[in-house]
Amino acid sequence: MEGTVPTPLVSIIPARMGVYYSDEFRRFKHEEVFRDSGGWSIDLGKQNLRFFQNLTKSLFAGIQEVHQPPLTTEEMRNLDGVFIPTIEKYGFLTPTISGLKFYSASIEYRVAMYDKKGTKIGDWNIVGYGKSEGGLFSSDDAINEATVLAIRDGGARIAIELIDQPAVQAWLQSIHESLEASAGPPGVAENIESIESIESSEIPENVDGPPDA
Amino acid sequence: MVPLMRNLLIALVLLPLLSGCVSSRIEQSRDSSTGIETHEAIVLLGRASYNDKQTEESFTECIAEVLGGGDNPIRLIGQNQFRDDLYPWFEPRTAPTSADELGRLFSQPGVKERIASVNVRYLAWIDGDTVTIDKGGSMSCTISTFGGGCFGMSYWEEDAAYEAAIWDLKTMTSTGQISADANGTSYLAGLIIPIPILARPGNAACKGLANQLREFIIGGT
Repeated sequence: MEGTVPTPLVSIIPARMGVYYSDEFRRFKHEEVFRDSGGWSIDLGKQNLRFFQNLTKSLFAGIQEVHQPPLTTEEMRNLDGVFIPTIEKYGFLTPTISGLKFYSASIEYRVAMYDKKGTKIGDWNIVGYGKSEGGLFSSDDAINEATVLAIRDGGARIAIELIDQPAVQAWLQSIHESLEASAGPPGVAENIESIESIESSEIPENVDGPPDA
Repeated sequence: MVPLMRNLLIALVLLPLLSGCVSSRIEQSRDSSTGIETHEAIVLLGRASYNDKQTEESFTECIAEVLGGGDNPIRLIGQNQFRDDLYPWFEPRTAPTSADELGRLFSQPGVKERIASVNVRYLAWIDGDTVTIDKGGSMSCTISTFGGGCFGMSYWEEDAAYEAAIWDLKTMTSTGQISADANGTSYLAGLIIPIPILARPGNAACKGLANQLREFIIGGT
């Protein structure tokens, strides 16, 4: 499966995140047999992973791929939290099944976020939809196109809506407050990198972040 | 075999001349004056929704081909490139549904700059589709040791209804709408060999809409 990997133009969430992709997420493959059209094997893991790597890089002030949580205090030293996307469901319909002119696909993601201490901030289910004209492509190409559009649709909702979630806002506020507290009384904060300066700075690919953050 | 070959030859010669009748109607409503500089571009975006309707990509490609050619070609930005560049703001479920939403969209980080960098002046949303509204008749084909052939006649009537809503990204307003409605009936006559007489209402709607869109954009008050 192939498709473009667009970089989202959205507000950066001012936090440095560890991102965990399970093996199942990395190698997600859907296999299904229909009585009329035979067997289908849709390998969307690689495209999905590329898409999420690019999405998270644009969405957070800094990211670093991590192993399966829980992470040690040392491993979390330069991170504000952990972001874990998983694929809950994937499905597709052909024109023969749906009776429509299109091939369509849907993908349900679950996105979980944890704070620095490993406490769950929240998890959200996001469904992406895509459809593609059947007439112009072979059925494989049409399913490919519908699936790529479903991934894009799910990614768009994550990119736009995640930052507005009350639990995410509360967590960002807590990061901000803890940074302010660690900065001490007014006048000594100049040397400590704040949330605002992370937000406005260039996005690092891997977090090497401030010491003792 | 000789009569069959002769019929086939006649059919092949006549096929390009056989096309069904199409009636079409183009209507335009203008909200404000327009005009375009040579360095400015237009983007054609097909509306997609999650019901059983969707503007065919081939239709927007047809309009782009007409607008980009001819004596007064208009610079076009491809819809896939535009959607990638402005991701996630022009996806089916996130795209603005009216020009009133452009102000909010342009306040998103980087959106205004990205649009300005490629000099997109107008956005034309293409909405509609071509549907079969009636069909009938019958035709059967047989093959035997003495030869074969098709006999009978079938027909189908198609209606192509499309609308272009044009937004000026410089003023962030709607400048007008153009609608194209074309209707035609195609026939398939079985006279030994099947002879198609095709009406192409989608093609007529495309050309009518594209030519009107060019006139609309290039200038008018």
